Amino acid sequence: MADFHDEAPLITGGLNFHDITEIVSSHTEKKTPLAWYGAFSLALAGLMLLVGMIAYLFWNGTGVWGLNNPVGWGYAIVNFVFWVGIGHAGTLISAILFLFRQQWRTAINRSAEAMTIFAVICALVFPTIHVGRVWAIYWTLPLPNQMEMWPQFKSPLLWDVFAVSTYFTVSLVFWYIGLVPDLATMRDRAKGKLRRLVLGVASMGWTGANRHWRNYEKAYLLLAALATPLVLSVHSVVSFDFAVSIIPGWHTTIFPPYFVAGAIFSGFAMVVTLLIIARKIYSLENIITVDHLEKMNIIILLTGTMVGFAYITEFFIAWYSGVQYEQYAFVNRMFGPYAWAYWTMMSCNLFFPQFFWSKKLRRNITFMFIISIFVNIGMWFERFVITVTSLHRDYLPSSWDYYTPTMVDVLTFVGTFGLFFTLFLLFLRFMPMVAIAEVKGVMPEADPHFYDHEGDGHHAEHAVEPSTQQ
Amino acid sequence: MIELPVLDDSPDSADHPRTRFWRSMSQLEGNREFKEMNAGEFLPGASNGPASEGGSGATRRQFIQLMGASMAMAGLTACRKPVETIVPYVRQPEDFVEGVPVRYATSMPFRGVLHPILVESFDGRPTKVEGNAEHPDSHGATHLFEQASILALYDPDRLGTVRNGDTVSDWTTFRSTVSGLPTSSRLVVIAEPTSSMTMAVVRRQLEQRFDSVRWIDYHGAVGNNAAQGIQAAYGRSARVQHDLSKARVILSLDADLFGSTGADPVGAAAGFATGRDPDAIEGMSRLYVVESGYSITGGMADNRLRMKSSEIASFAAALGAELGTWSGDAGVHASHEWVSAVADDLRSAGGNALVVAGAQQPAGVHALVAAINDRLGAVGTTVTYLDSDVPAGDSQAELEAAVADMAAGNVDIVLTLGTNPAYNHPAFADAYANVEHRIHLGAYLDETATKASWVVPQTHYLEAWGDGTSRSGVPGVIQPLIAPLYEDARSDIEVVGLFATGTEMPGYEMVRATWRTQFSGSFENAWRKVVHDGFAAGDGFSAARLSLSAAGVQSAMEGVSLSASSDVEVVVMADSKVFDGRFANNAWLQELPDPTTKVVWDNVACMNPATAEKLGVSATLNAGKYYADIVSLDVGGNAVELPVWIQPGVADDSVHVTLGYGRDMVSERERRSTNFFDLDDYTDVYGKGAISTGVGANVAPLTLGGHIAAVSVSKAGEGYMVASTQDHGAIDAPHVGEEVKSRGLFRMATVEEYRADPEFVRGGDPKPLKEDWDEYPTLWEDNHPKVSEEIMSSNYHENQWGMVIDLNTCTGCNACVVACQAENNIQVVGKEEVSRGREMHWLRLDRYFVSGDGASYDDPQMVIQPLPCQHCENAPCEQVCPVAATVHSPDGTNQMIYNRCIGTRYCANNCPYKVRRFNFYNWTKTLPDTLHMASNPNVTVRSRGVMEKCSFCIQRIRSANKVANVENRSIEDGEVVTACQQVCPSHAITFGDLSNPDSAVSRLRESDRRYELLAELNVKPRVSYLGRVSNPNPNLA
Repeated sequence: MADFHDEAPLITGGLNFHDITEIVSSHTEKKTPLAWYGAFSLALAGLMLLVGMIAYLFWNGTGVWGLNNPVGWGYAIVNFVFWVGIGHAGTLISAILFLFRQQWRTAINRSAEAMTIFAVICALVFPTIHVGRVWAIYWTLPLPNQMEMWPQFKSPLLWDVFAVSTYFTVSLVFWYIGLVPDLATMRDRAKGKLRRLVLGVASMGWTGANRHWRNYEKAYLLLAALATPLVLSVHSVVSFDFAVSIIPGWHTTIFPPYFVAGAIFSGFAMVVTLLIIARKIYSLENIITVDHLEKMNIIILLTGTMVGFAYITEFFIAWYSGVQYEQYAFVNRMFGPYAWAYWTMMSCNLFFPQFFWSKKLRRNITFMFIISIFVNIGMWFERFVITVTSLHRDYLPSSWDYYTPTMVDVLTFVGTFGLFFTLFLLFLRFMPMVAIAEVKGVMPEADPHFYDHEGDGHHAEHAVEPSTQQ
Repeated sequence: MIELPVLDDSPDSADHPRTRFWRSMSQLEGNREFKEMNAGEFLPGASNGPASEGGSGATRRQFIQLMGASMAMAGLTACRKPVETIVPYVRQPEDFVEGVPVRYATSMPFRGVLHPILVESFDGRPTKVEGNAEHPDSHGATHLFEQASILALYDPDRLGTVRNGDTVSDWTTFRSTVSGLPTSSRLVVIAEPTSSMTMAVVRRQLEQRFDSVRWIDYHGAVGNNAAQGIQAAYGRSARVQHDLSKARVILSLDADLFGSTGADPVGAAAGFATGRDPDAIEGMSRLYVVESGYSITGGMADNRLRMKSSEIASFAAALGAELGTWSGDAGVHASHEWVSAVADDLRSAGGNALVVAGAQQPAGVHALVAAINDRLGAVGTTVTYLDSDVPAGDSQAELEAAVADMAAGNVDIVLTLGTNPAYNHPAFADAYANVEHRIHLGAYLDETATKASWVVPQTHYLEAWGDGTSRSGVPGVIQPLIAPLYEDARSDIEVVGLFATGTEMPGYEMVRATWRTQFSGSFENAWRKVVHDGFAAGDGFSAARLSLSAAGVQSAMEGVSLSASSDVEVVVMADSKVFDGRFANNAWLQELPDPTTKVVWDNVACMNPATAEKLGVSATLNAGKYYADIVSLDVGGNAVELPVWIQPGVADDSVHVTLGYGRDMVSERERRSTNFFDLDDYTDVYGKGAISTGVGANVAPLTLGGHIAAVSVSKAGEGYMVASTQDHGAIDAPHVGEEVKSRGLFRMATVEEYRADPEFVRGGDPKPLKEDWDEYPTLWEDNHPKVSEEIMSSNYHENQWGMVIDLNTCTGCNACVVACQAENNIQVVGKEEVSRGREMHWLRLDRYFVSGDGASYDDPQMVIQPLPCQHCENAPCEQVCPVAATVHSPDGTNQMIYNRCIGTRYCANNCPYKVRRFNFYNWTKTLPDTLHMASNPNVTVRSRGVMEKCSFCIQRIRSANKVANVENRSIEDGEVVTACQQVCPSHAITFGDLSNPDSAVSRLRESDRRYELLAELNVKPRVSYLGRVSNPNPNLA
């Protein structure tokens, strides 16, 4: 039975090429449903909240946040790392899984990439607004100036600027290149003149010619190869913000792989959260199947366990190093004033994903939704624990203090969800949320030998049949 | 600035009676018609338009002027700025260079004596106080009140006008009112104790002019117990001087020798420091402290005993009995184990022993202590009595007698000179209302001023002439540095002079007139020298020859209880920051952390954990803030409500409170209120009226029966937030003490241990794992600033600055913190922001309690460690700044470039010492105008969103660089003195050039006791500490 063809089909429901096109593009063509407006207003309100909070911050100063002297970084940096982490899944799915020929990725990569870009936008908000003098933020860029004053290239914050902006640019280009064939499909179906024009420009004259496909595939492959190291580098660099410092709890060599694993972990959790909702609302169950979700859950289980392993390794290293500051920092995490945050993190990230060992649970939509939410919470707390508990008690006990976020901190964070969902809802409304061309490419019909036996497609139906059970 | 009169092209002839020619009588008389006639080109009316006759008013010239002006303005649009002309001096005053500060000698009157100081003045604007090193009483240092007094000068809530009741009046009206007062009036003067000779003169005149004058030298609620005790013991008043430098064994009975409330804290700390050299051949002195609260003196003690203040009299009596000066029963502590041990030690020290009692102890204890010192032979060596000629009255009793007279209607005029009896005495207000003329001289519209019929604004001491004598009696002149900021303001001698003579005399003339009698020979020369030096050398009080009266001691002790009491006692003391309330409106002092509790912007009821448990009250830590129960302290019907503060080391059943809070000052400024989105009203410390109003509670009513009283305590509330700069989560955790110890932050040993192992501080170093930590390469070694060409070739590279702080002599008195604040324009952020951990002090005093090694959690040792920026050579802050806003200078300091800083706060995160301070808000945006004048112009005022920290007073280094560069020489050792170093009474801070092997700082760095904080991080701090060595009595383990 170990036959190549016996692998579970990636698309269920006996859909053919046209059905796929129809299912995906119809959502962008039909009249906007009322529910979308409802959701969009809610998201927009969140966005307005964000704008309001940022305006309040700019008007008054960083003091509106709960930061204090030992804890110079709080919600802003936590949220930054959180959102950047979320932004990892998309490129991982589209680039690394592409290179590894994981064809199940096609069902989810488009929305995951969109999520990536929107999450990185949310992330970029925070380093920008968290500085004391936001009007001088451009000094972090290596712009030529009359003082011949360059940024300080030893600073990990500067590396961040480059890493995250590169990641954002490459992700955006990658996403757009992948969109081109689908935009052309939509253009071809477009009714209105404006729609035709816009999609015509956006699809850059795609005709589906062999030469186009060849160039497209090559570009896609190259970009995937380019994006792959970025997936690993961006969160490694983010982790350097902490690892390069000398603060116990931050000064840790394990951080780069640990952050990358954590980022993939949180990114996949977010993809699961979003797609469970999207596939239900947009009736994409046959394209984004439980099999796909299960695969993501396996990755969540894997990366969650890796992250948990990293947590434990940190403790081991703290003990093994003999550095008492580090030992205190970790004991303080577990039993200090922020123990509640630590144990929230531990249970959400290490313990809860272990349920996914059970095949039944990891294929249960409701259950995986709950777990994915827990993972999102847990990963936010991971960044909170790293940032705040390390800072609030470091070397000199005289300076120890406690960090409490203000309402502005919390509402700004809530507001970024407004920004995120505003963008995501616009994406769902106007863009093909599934990569039509790529999904078609992994359907049995796309196999050049598919029609070899019968030549009429009957075999294909037969091949699809066994997996209609869901 | 001297304002030159504008040259007038048509001088008013009447003012210039000189030979001249004249055209007519009317010109000669300068009458108006002639002037009008002469002013125009044509005769009046000749050039007017026709309308002007009818009344529209525009003349031909006016018309053309208007037209011309509007044409010109039409072309100018809105780009015009107000024109400011900077005019150089026509004749530059001698020795004056714009922007270069000048220092003048003057004196600050405080508690009846002059504190000799030098005041730095920038273009006529005093900004900083230093000690007058040439003065015998100064030691070149000051305490914190002198430092903070600069801010009081610019206090925006100072009263600006004479007030008659609720209406604004002026000085002229007041003057005529006073002149019209009948000399038969019965006058009561409630004055600050003063040593002013001029005041003595006008006081005599006053007593001659008015039939009945009752003059009260009012000590307020702080009282005057020590002087009364000496008067009782010796039968006459004398000023006691303690010389701790000669003392080998010192016993403090509840006396906070080094705290700002001490009688002579600068002299005490300086003297004590000289006796604490662990390498001295004669050994170290030993300090015993028996106290109920936890003072910084207790923190310096070699042996400290917790004891209720009310029982210390018994301890003193037992000690007296042991030494043969007390014949009666010594009461509860007659056979305390400490008594014989301490007595032996004192006896063996003989004349080099010293016993001091605290100001809150009753006069009897002071008398007994005087007897003990006498018996020990200390008088003449460690104790000197000076013929100060100041009577030691019980001013509270005098006030009460006057209040009774006032209530009975036997007083016509009450003149309060800078005093505030309405705040200090609850019965004053009602009686006061009974007096017809209630005249108050004061800087603020405070409790007494609002009840007065006339209020005259009082000048700050830097605004008016005055005189007086220092502690040891050296006469000096108070030289003003600036004209009074408010025209109506007058000094005390001027107001009393007005009363005494009915006419007004400038203070300058009065002081000069007094001093004219002092000199033989040329007055002007002698006067100029006195004004220049600030004092007349060599004229101190002579030592009094006194003989002890045992009966006097006995009678003074009569009312003092020697028995134990199970009652809870309350001990009321002057506050180490706002004293008796006179400094309460000083934001620097309100935000200064109490040396022991680290509490700011409040007074609290300090008690130890056991007492709190017994009383059923607590202060709980929640999310980094303390929420305290409120207790009601009731002493004989006078009740005060205060939040609880749990302070380990306080005696059982003892509650400590401080005076000076709960002020009710009226501010004439508008309250700031802003839109909902604007936090200016929150961030403006000065925006809510007078800053002292509403801070803490007034405990003065508790002192009516003495400063130590049995109190009934009941819980009156809960959840009051107390802001503290430390202890955000440390005091309640005994494991913190373990961490402090194992991290080797504060290293100390007894003198025996030190002798056995002079390098004991090395024991605090963490053990290297494999290699020595300093052999590890640093992260950016090849790129280190010190190897860069720009740095090597800089002129500044010649000096490498460093600092050594001697923990053995640092008492933790807080003077350096205020000095740093004054020097470096450090902003005040208010209670709420401090509670959120956002205080801005560049230099902080870390306070740790040490338990273990015999000391229990209830009875810990307290140590204090000053922590400025450590100026690490491998500065972790510099590596993480994305915009290079914090960099190394060629002379080895870590510098903040404020205008480059974008405020990522990464540097603060990465600072292991947490010395960096962030401007979370724009603290200077709302600062009242007058307070801008207090700023040091050589230090940038930081804006919102930038990081700041200690700069090693880089402005002082650069000034020295300039001078040395001009003179083409190197900077000499001691030429650059940081603000903290300069103010330090015990000279615990040494600053200098590390590249000069002979500099004081280089030599101190050779000390065995030197260690660096967190040296194992290999950040190579430029600040070193010298470990503390204590000298406890081995018989008192």
